[in-house]
Amino acid sequence: MTSTLLKRGSAYLFVAVFAMGPLLLFVGSAHASGSRPYQTTRKNAGTPNSDVVKTDSSGVVISYGNSAITYNAPSPALATLGQALFQQNCASCHGNEANGVPANGTGGAYPNLVGLGPATIDFWIESGRMPAADPRSVQAARRVARLNHQQAIAIAAWVNSLSPSYPGIPTPNLKIANVADGAALFALNCAACHTIEGDGDALAHSTYAPSLRNIPATQVVEAIRTGPGNMPRFTGNLSDYQVNDIVKYVTSYIQHPQNPGGFGLGGLGPVAEGFVGLALGVGLLALVGFWVGERQ
Amino acid sequence: MSELHEHRTPVSLKGLSADDPHLAPAARNPQLVERVIALTFVAGTLLMLAFGWAYWINAMPWKLGATMGGGLTFYGIGLIAWAKYLMPKGPFVEERHTLANSDADRDAFAAAIVERGGGVVKRRKMLGGLLGGGLGIFGVVAMFPLIRSLGPLPKSTLFHTDWRSGSYAVDQSGRRIQVGDLAIGSIVTVFPEGTQDSERGQAVDQTVLIRISNQDFTTQKGRETWAPMGYVAYSKLCTHLGCPVGLYEQQLQLLVCPCHQSAFNVTNGAIPNFGPAPRPLPQLPLYIDSQGYIRAQRDYHTPVGPGFWERP
Repeated sequence: MTSTLLKRGSAYLFVAVFAMGPLLLFVGSAHASGSRPYQTTRKNAGTPNSDVVKTDSSGVVISYGNSAITYNAPSPALATLGQALFQQNCASCHGNEANGVPANGTGGAYPNLVGLGPATIDFWIESGRMPAADPRSVQAARRVARLNHQQAIAIAAWVNSLSPSYPGIPTPNLKIANVADGAALFALNCAACHTIEGDGDALAHSTYAPSLRNIPATQVVEAIRTGPGNMPRFTGNLSDYQVNDIVKYVTSYIQHPQNPGGFGLGGLGPVAEGFVGLALGVGLLALVGFWVGERQ
Repeated sequence: MSELHEHRTPVSLKGLSADDPHLAPAARNPQLVERVIALTFVAGTLLMLAFGWAYWINAMPWKLGATMGGGLTFYGIGLIAWAKYLMPKGPFVEERHTLANSDADRDAFAAAIVERGGGVVKRRKMLGGLLGGGLGIFGVVAMFPLIRSLGPLPKSTLFHTDWRSGSYAVDQSGRRIQVGDLAIGSIVTVFPEGTQDSERGQAVDQTVLIRISNQDFTTQKGRETWAPMGYVAYSKLCTHLGCPVGLYEQQLQLLVCPCHQSAFNVTNGAIPNFGPAPRPLPQLPLYIDSQGYIRAQRDYHTPVGPGFWERP
């Protein structure tokens, strides 16, 4: 009698202890998602603390920068065209006012674009991530851009006209860049996620750092300065000259790697190379060995 | 044993005659094989000549390698084919004589050593002792490189870093970080000023400085003053195995370790929510001085990095 009770009791205890694990996880995740301050709107990303600031007659900044990078505000003349394009391509999620509140009224699901700066708008459109293929996906993938450069600039011009902000659309001056410094800065600031070969890698929660193999110089500057998606923003801790060096390194060595064997194997490193070498080399040697040792 | 020998007829090489089937070529058409082998040798010779010529005119390395490698490959193929198709088929078995010396020889050798050498060594006790002692010391000394290869003793670095009350946070180049330097969503690796170029600074003191807000931020109860103006700082050493936790995802607010994908939540005191890391990353209490520089209130409150025996 007592032994049955004992058995049953210990079984219940066993089940209870094991049930606690998932239960705690569930409670923990609910708590975590509630307290996480998502940064969807970041006003005035980067200020024009630059050597040269050009303003038009009414005092609006049209370009700023230095000998390394010039940031240009998109021409206000394009704003009308930009508004039309925005209504066609972007407003269904970001709302008619670009404030993240769509027509049906429920805000908060999509980012507010006002005050993000032209570089952000230009980056997302010209890298093909916007208009989004699947707005609910964890991370927008790089695709062939649906809107061309002029259209992207026009949309940026209109959004910027709602609340003029920074950074502008950058033009790096790669002629004065130092590739060696760029490599060191890349290793220090970028390689952790994008890998030292620039191929990108998986991160947490189904996100990933994309490959840098095929990205124009302008978009590299935009990404560094605005921090798209989960990428951190690099502002005060990297000067325009340093960013210029990194862009030079990315567009030269990362995008045109020197593979002495002619076969980079995805830059996955000595383990992958050794594995391929072993599989191919030992396989070939085994075939030769069979031929040599074969008897009639 | 008998099974192994089943298919092998033991043949006495002395008794072989010219018409013995074992001496016939293995190929059905030896003339053709001979011609093919001759061709490979000709090709190999031509490539070798080309190699000599390429060397003479100082050609590109790949031409040197291709000609010499190709020549040797053709020679090799020809030689193997020669042995395989044109040599007698075999199998031939030849008994081997015993390699060991006879017991009598060995006993005599041992006796000679004991008789002649033993007495001599016994008479030189001191020399023998000195030699033995020297070899013993050599054995001990030979352990030194092994012990030294384990590296210097960690001493107090297990428990304390170089962060002190008032240490300036500087980046890799030694520049002090000011409150206006980082925008929200930015990250930089910092060191206590003066250690950014030292091994110890790189190994023990490295810290990630992240700006997650524009206002003072509280990660946990009791840490209300630790993150002024949204600047939070965590040790960069993973609590699992000490890898640099430098992968910051600014929307998920996660710090990810590249080695085993431990993910630390930046907003709640770096409590790990995925992966093998057993403890949160220690948080460095910061303050902003009157000139706007980011400085440390004091050292970390717990040891940084992975666990160790004496960890409290």
